[in-house]
Amino acid sequence: MSKAKPVYPFPAIVGQERMKLSLILNVIDPGLSGVLIRGEKGTAKSTAVRALADILPEIPVIRDDPFQLSPDDELEILAEIRRHLGLAEDAPIVRETRKVAVVELPVGATEDRVVGSLDLEQALKSGKRKVEPGLLAAAHRGILYVDEVNLLDDHVVDVLLDSAAMGVNTIEREGVSFGHPARFTLVGTMNPEEGELRPQLLDRFGLCVTIEGIADPESRVAVMERRAAFDRDPEGFVLKWRSESEALAGRIERARRILASDVAVEREFLFRIARTCLDVGVDGHRGDIVILKAARALAAFAGRNEVQAEDIDKAAELALPHRVRRQPLMEMADDLEAVRRKKKGMES
Amino acid sequence: MRANFPFVAVVGQDELKKSLLLCAVNPGVGGVLVRGEKGTAKSTLARALADVLPEIDTAEGCAFVCDPARPGEWCTRCREKAGANHWVKRRIPFQTLPLNATEDRVSGSLDFEEAVRRGRREFSPGLLASVHRGILYVDEVNLLDDHLVDILLDAAACGENRVEREGLSFAHPSRFMLIGTMNPEEGELRPQLLDRFGLSVAVGGETAVEDRVELMWRRQCFDRDPAGFDRLHAEETLALRRRLVAARERLPGVRLPKRLRGFIAELASESHVAGHRADLFLEQAALALAALHGENEVGEARIVEAAPLVLAHRRRDAQPSPPPPLPPPPENSEDDSETPEKSPPENREEREDAPPPPSPEQGESPSQNRPEDADDGQSGGGATPEENVFQIGETFRVKRVQADRDRQRRRGSGRRSRSRVSQKQGRYVRSGPDLGTGDLALDATLRAAAPHQLARRGDSSLAIVLAPSDIREKIREKRLGNHLFFTVDASGSMGARGRMAASKGAVMSLLLDAYQKRDRVALISFRRNGASLDLPPTTSVDLAGKLLAEMPVGGRTPLSAGLSRTWEAVRNTLSKNPLARPIVLIITDGRSNVALRDPGENPLHEAWRLAAAMRQDSRVKYVVVDTEDADAMNFGLAAELAGALGADYFKVNDLKVEALVNIVRRSEW
Repeated sequence: MSKAKPVYPFPAIVGQERMKLSLILNVIDPGLSGVLIRGEKGTAKSTAVRALADILPEIPVIRDDPFQLSPDDELEILAEIRRHLGLAEDAPIVRETRKVAVVELPVGATEDRVVGSLDLEQALKSGKRKVEPGLLAAAHRGILYVDEVNLLDDHVVDVLLDSAAMGVNTIEREGVSFGHPARFTLVGTMNPEEGELRPQLLDRFGLCVTIEGIADPESRVAVMERRAAFDRDPEGFVLKWRSESEALAGRIERARRILASDVAVEREFLFRIARTCLDVGVDGHRGDIVILKAARALAAFAGRNEVQAEDIDKAAELALPHRVRRQPLMEMADDLEAVRRKKKGMES
Repeated sequence: MRANFPFVAVVGQDELKKSLLLCAVNPGVGGVLVRGEKGTAKSTLARALADVLPEIDTAEGCAFVCDPARPGEWCTRCREKAGANHWVKRRIPFQTLPLNATEDRVSGSLDFEEAVRRGRREFSPGLLASVHRGILYVDEVNLLDDHLVDILLDAAACGENRVEREGLSFAHPSRFMLIGTMNPEEGELRPQLLDRFGLSVAVGGETAVEDRVELMWRRQCFDRDPAGFDRLHAEETLALRRRLVAARERLPGVRLPKRLRGFIAELASESHVAGHRADLFLEQAALALAALHGENEVGEARIVEAAPLVLAHRRRDAQPSPPPPLPPPPENSEDDSETPEKSPPENREEREDAPPPPSPEQGESPSQNRPEDADDGQSGGGATPEENVFQIGETFRVKRVQADRDRQRRRGSGRRSRSRVSQKQGRYVRSGPDLGTGDLALDATLRAAAPHQLARRGDSSLAIVLAPSDIREKIREKRLGNHLFFTVDASGSMGARGRMAASKGAVMSLLLDAYQKRDRVALISFRRNGASLDLPPTTSVDLAGKLLAEMPVGGRTPLSAGLSRTWEAVRNTLSKNPLARPIVLIITDGRSNVALRDPGENPLHEAWRLAAAMRQDSRVKYVVVDTEDADAMNFGLAAELAGALGADYFKVNDLKVEALVNIVRRSEW
């Protein structure tokens, strides 16, 4: 990986703290089900997502397995898939570790490319089925990145929604069907000027951040300088940032361990979450649950075992902007505090 | 498999839980339609219900989930084995209908491998087979392709899935509990479909802080230790299951006193429901409710309790869910299936010869439906000839405006005009060779290969030997979104007598419709001395709505400039995307008093000349919406413009679905 083409180091991205934080939180807890990054062109959206590869943790996988199954708890599924494809079921299982993958879904991708395909021509000749896994197989247990997610074809969106809801992707052709697990963190970027997202898809993103270009001239200069330095000598630049990258990766790894060993949330904080959601007016309860998860991830990231009030508030800012109830054709709330004030004002 | 969140542990949602239980007790209740917000445990409850229901007996690995108690319905395999069948217990089937499901996947198809390997014509079962005796959960049922919904509801209604295509004629039992969800903001369900659901429930999030906290708490416990959480609620689940089983046993014996039939009929007619389905479903629901409560006779109270669930979605004068008001009476179907094919071209011819005469209907309806409030609001605005920004008037549900059908294959999404598509979605209408879609039409391929079999059969072990030249692919058809160009007259004359508010209301209604049908929209306005492209084609209907609200009105009327700016935008779109089917909606009173180029030419004649030129491109469809009040002195200028463009012509009020009867009548005329 590292030899192919160095990625821009994640910590070297100037500013855009909320975006960086929301990405990090999703790495700490994949259960947050992704983040939607809204913003103008040229605000380091794509750079940040690609740079994630720099700080991702390693996960155990099975060698030569195109479906990224976990050797810990998906061995049964592996056996089933092998049976289905007519492969040797008792082929040896070699464990290895690999970084969590960032799989990019291009906007023009065909359904076949995303879902995978069954090679019918092969089947016509020999009567045997052969499966060509798609992007969803590659993204299992990883990050699926969709640039310009609002421009995605509706039928590809349907496929994403199905897999996101069921955690399974089904490849189907002429009554021959084949399913494999596909649970991924969905990261989408979009420029709102080019159209909004379908509400169902919007709801699938756990977090949502809106970013703007940096106004501070000094930071802007830093952006240019770093970019130029990277373009001039990518390896050297990466090397220069190595220690920071490693420090961040280590911190994320620690946070994952803390989260796994449990982060406590006092009941009074649950009230704080519920009240926040009621105050701003959100549809359903997914907002509450995402805030809770994000707050726990935040606490873990800070190296704490218990959630504090500030975690809740920060989490709400990331989890609610796209969930505030609105009529079609209304704009999305960018500023949560303003929504709350407005609601309060209307009541009094 | 991961454990499901237990039914009994879901906080709140009592109405939904009740409806689901009623369906589980009595299949005659006819399914549940869940309307409302996202993230309100809809699918969690549906899934969990499958765990609550007692397990069923079936043959091991049977793809049709055959019922041992009904030998008459067994599939071929079960019948062949007959007594040697291994009956096993299994959890009742639970299936979610995938959003991108095709007809094959839902109803089944010809078994490819069997056909090629052994030359046998076998049925490969689809979703409707595997969900037999179980629960079918359809998320966003209002966004489903019409033909799929038809298949589902047919099966749900007759308890059987009949397949008559691809050279197959096959039927198998398919009795399932249908649970559909929808968010009304994303478009309403066709009224006939709405009527087929026995019950409907509106769901929302919990509003009490304590409940929300409890919900989070439970969710957190579940996430930490699903199995332990399940054990914690096992006893309660078991009690519920016993209650359901007892209710099912009791149901056949529950009586409904005769006098209460009259009461049911009264309730139904009070709500102005259409047809008699409501009465029947209400009776079944009341029976189930009584059985669930361990009663042997239905009392009045049970009927009253069940009534809202049955009647809410059938009520005709029901509370309109803003912005799109409640669906109209079932006439809507015609507009969906037949009329679009026939009427538009004929319409056009007629219009050309004779601009529509003021028909008797026209005289009636507009005065009835005129948005009163909008009118009042404008009386001040009309007085000042300066620039004004008018409020958006009343919005309403608009009738379907769509492009004419052609033979081009397109890619895309949306829900407006029917088109052949080059993607694996939509209805299989025909087949053809070398389409390059990779969407094999097995039946046609086999037919193409059949004549060559004797010659080809060499040492192949396959029953049918296929050659690349045999390959036939499916031609599919589905609805797609269009490019809609809104050309809005924003001149001073539009400010008069509330016209602009009503027009903005009409455009807003069309925009909401465009949002639901996933069109691309563009906005052009003309006033004073020129026209401007306020919004180039975009999917952001939101933005169009915002610009519309801010659009100022005032000055003279450069209709020609408006037309030519529109044409420029349409031509750009067509050169980028030659397969696009633009629909141009011109909202105007037809007046024109600023000429484009030659000040000597009559501005009106210039506009008509332009219109006639624009008409030449058959890919573009035009619709003129006349904003002139019908009761005022009628100049008929907009109708004249429509004639020149070959456009469909509507008064603002004719766009409303409620006015549909009038339009149908007029186009027959």
